[in-house]
Amino acid sequence: MGTARTTGYHPGLVDLASGQISREIFVNDEIYAEEQERIFARAWLFVGHASQIPNPGDYVMSGMGEEAVILCRDRAGAVHVFLNSCRHRGMKVCRYDEGNTSVFTCPYHGWSYGTDGRLVGVPYFREAYHSKLDRSRWGLVEVAQMCNYKGAIFATWDAQAPSFPEYLGDFTRYLDLQLDGWDGREGQAELLCGVQKWLVPCNWKFPAENFSGDTYHNISHRSVDLAGIGPSGSSRRDLGERNVSRKLHVCIPDRGHQTILYVMPQGRETPVAYQNAPIVSEYFAHCEAEKRRLLGEGARLIGAPGEIFPNTALLSRQPRTMAVWHPRGPNQTECWRYYFVDKDAPHEVKEFLRDYYIRYSGPAGMTEQDDMENWNYAHAASRGTIARRHPYTYEQGIGTAVRDYEFEGMRVPGDVIDITEIQSSEQPMRNLYRRWAQFMEADDWEQLATWRHNERAAAAE
Amino acid sequence: MSDPINIRTLAPGTRIALADGAVAEIVSNPADGVWLFARYLESPRDPALVGQEEMIFAGDVVEVRQAP
Repeated sequence: MGTARTTGYHPGLVDLASGQISREIFVNDEIYAEEQERIFARAWLFVGHASQIPNPGDYVMSGMGEEAVILCRDRAGAVHVFLNSCRHRGMKVCRYDEGNTSVFTCPYHGWSYGTDGRLVGVPYFREAYHSKLDRSRWGLVEVAQMCNYKGAIFATWDAQAPSFPEYLGDFTRYLDLQLDGWDGREGQAELLCGVQKWLVPCNWKFPAENFSGDTYHNISHRSVDLAGIGPSGSSRRDLGERNVSRKLHVCIPDRGHQTILYVMPQGRETPVAYQNAPIVSEYFAHCEAEKRRLLGEGARLIGAPGEIFPNTALLSRQPRTMAVWHPRGPNQTECWRYYFVDKDAPHEVKEFLRDYYIRYSGPAGMTEQDDMENWNYAHAASRGTIARRHPYTYEQGIGTAVRDYEFEGMRVPGDVIDITEIQSSEQPMRNLYRRWAQFMEADDWEQLATWRHNERAAAAE
Repeated sequence: MSDPINIRTLAPGTRIALADGAVAEIVSNPADGVWLFARYLESPRDPALVGQEEMIFAGDVVEVRQAP
């Protein structure tokens, strides 16, 4: 492939009918450049969590695609997301990872911005600019839309994008599982410790598809299961409910979001967990009971790895984390992993979970190391001239998804495959790449908001 | 041209003389080495500035005077 293209991704490179996807979309420089414009400049992206910036003047560095951004709380308490680039000559106006400040000052020529983004300081404003520079026009570039959803800060550069709740659609309940408390109360999550950041030599879509719900690669984690790193000293996780639930692949086809989901049988209580730490075990037993009391049937849904299109990964059960796969060229991804606990959980519980999270996830986590090894070498082995000629296959479960699954009275919207017995499907990956191809081909959000077309057609009927 | 002054070390309350002959009192210091927030005490060039708080550029600070 020689030049950038805006057509032919689907079915040319992403052939969902046959379940074949070209390796070019992972390794091609031109396609990667197109992704920055057509995906990362238009989609909603996770920027950080409000608990990272509790006080006026607090800020943290983050990223949206390749863009460096500042997430900050201004002196009046409002949250902002700014491009970290001076309007005068582009220098980063902030080079610390986090802190508290009254102004962001560019070290190049000294332009200075308030935490609300206004340009407040221009050296020699009277002398060199003769007081004529219109400072109101030269504030920091702010995202077009920002949403604080239960503390999670998402943003987009596209003013025409739908609101964040509309962007999520029926996927909202799975983000809720991530951000609400273990006892079911709304928005109880807070960040535990700092954000872990590391580089992996692979395209950003490798981790994105992995966290979309790749259950097929469990063999990679066999050694971790055998070592028994889970909080009860067995396997990786400590979720007995996995053994009694229906295990689903849930895809929201219009949105490109997908997840693994467990649905507990009606009237069944969650098995006891965390037997190695009685105080933690008691705490979670209490939370599960509270959740059943507060949410009723809703407490039967148990989250698992999932992906909000394009590059935000969820893991709402344990270890409870979110991740962002920042693109750093076609052949490199910067992984950022955020760790969550309930803000009013006992100190002993937070400390126990911190140890468990570190053991499991991040660059030194035993499970994440397995994944990185796969993505690293799969990517490297797909870059060659010969390798590029041979597509990957995503054929598992083609044509077997059901619309709006139901189990013992619990309705699950979307395209769903019950993988309890069959173990695996590749429906989540097909869902991811269907949306990817739509973004790469669509000229605007009028085309991308496909659900609006369906709603209009239904209304016309 | 006077020697450059390290404005990062200047505490609130410190008085500073500016290149245009004005005198100001530091209100707060963001410690970025580039800017100070200061209130004008004297301003021969523009008397209307007296009493106002402005951001003062490091390059404009020519002398540090102790608070009275």
